[in-house]
Amino acid sequence: MNHHAAFQEWVHTGGRIVGQAAVEPVENGYRLAHREDADAIRAGDLAWDALELFTRPEEARTVALYDEAMAFRPLKTAPNLRRGWRLELETAAELHLAIEFLYPAAIGLWVAQREGRLRSAPLKETLGRQSGMYAVTRKATPGQIDATLASCCNSCGGCLKTILWATPEQKKALPAGKFEAASPADELPLHCHEACNLFVGTLRDEIKK
Amino acid sequence: MTAPNIQRALIIVGHGSTVNPDSAMPTWACADEIRRRAIFDEVQVAFWKEEPSLRQVLYTVESREIFVVPNFISEGYFTQKVIPRELGLPGQSAAEATTTRLPDGRLLHYCPPVGNHARMTEVLLHRAREVAPEAPPAETSLVIVGHGTALNDNSAVAAKRQVALIHELGLYGEVLAAYMEEPPLVSDWATLTTMPHVVVVPFFVADGLHSYQDIPVMLGMEPDPGEAMSRREVFRKNPRHLHGRKLYFGSALGTDPLIAEVILDQARAAAAGGTP
Repeated sequence: MNHHAAFQEWVHTGGRIVGQAAVEPVENGYRLAHREDADAIRAGDLAWDALELFTRPEEARTVALYDEAMAFRPLKTAPNLRRGWRLELETAAELHLAIEFLYPAAIGLWVAQREGRLRSAPLKETLGRQSGMYAVTRKATPGQIDATLASCCNSCGGCLKTILWATPEQKKALPAGKFEAASPADELPLHCHEACNLFVGTLRDEIKK
Repeated sequence: MTAPNIQRALIIVGHGSTVNPDSAMPTWACADEIRRRAIFDEVQVAFWKEEPSLRQVLYTVESREIFVVPNFISEGYFTQKVIPRELGLPGQSAAEATTTRLPDGRLLHYCPPVGNHARMTEVLLHRAREVAPEAPPAETSLVIVGHGTALNDNSAVAAKRQVALIHELGLYGEVLAAYMEEPPLVSDWATLTTMPHVVVVPFFVADGLHSYQDIPVMLGMEPDPGEAMSRREVFRKNPRHLHGRKLYFGSALGTDPLIAEVILDQARAAAAGGTP
């Protein structure tokens, strides 16, 4: 099934959460907001009108660019998506694009994982490929890798993705749930099929300490 | 795995940054413009330092045929080594588009970077005119700034090539290249140039700390290298009166609307010559 059809099926069969964003089909299209704002509205503590309105999918990038403190968010799956916005879109294609901007590659990786095509790369392979300023990471010790996992990948302050590449030893650095690909039916899983550049950069800093 | 009615994808590759929100902007802007024109079934971006990453991006497109255009000024470490490696392609010369059959059967055309394209001279001249519309070119020194560094970076070569091309046109009183990390240094602009007007254009894709801060400090436009300046502050102040000259400073080239045309040209050239 192609990405667009798969994501549409998910949304129209109760899919509601992508990372920290909540999505719902509405009368004239789709509405996206921070999931905590959506919860507050459902609880009667907040009104839709109180949220800043955006209507173009590209504006999802604006929403995702800075956190609440106006710090740049290079990693879109960091758990610091700002609140206070709503994105109202007319078409399924616009929704798809907005999700791609809020959580880049999430839909494609999810479909690939469902179809058994997502190949995860062990950390050793990822580090073995590095060159230039990152070549030093090939020499990382298990302790340095654990420290980087704990600082870079933890779901509280690091990253919301589920790690698919860790060895049993590496999995000890974080709670077990961090490595389980399954997620609640209304949540789109965010897969990490190999360590990202941010991880490799942080590991380099750890080695250089 | 490909969807039957999705035929052609364009992936524009930028460097991206973990600290500078403006690094990815020109690449996003080109993708938006090309997507709006509906020339490709899919238009995607990928970055070395941001998401979607080069390791993720091939999972995000479904087309049978994929065109990858690096939004880089020069051939070098990134275009010849990092991008092909991360996409799982064989090593590339990058002087011409190369075509690879991916393990899943898709065809990937890896195109030369935007900086190689003949129209980049036009982009540079466009930016120079835009920055200093009132400066008579015959009385103007045009300084093209490259990074200049050791690590397989051909930015100095690319800047020199543009200097030669623009010099041949005979439009400007003087055209020269200057660098941030090797002589002739940008900071020596006052002695390197002789004309009453001096227009400085960074031969970079994106405005980052180099163009907001490093170059303005090297030019003597800004005394304090402490706090990073915003783009607006730096570029709004043209011209500066320094050393008895009028100094004009331009933003990086990636925001020029012509870059989208250059990207399309690079993909078209691959489509014309690259399919086996």
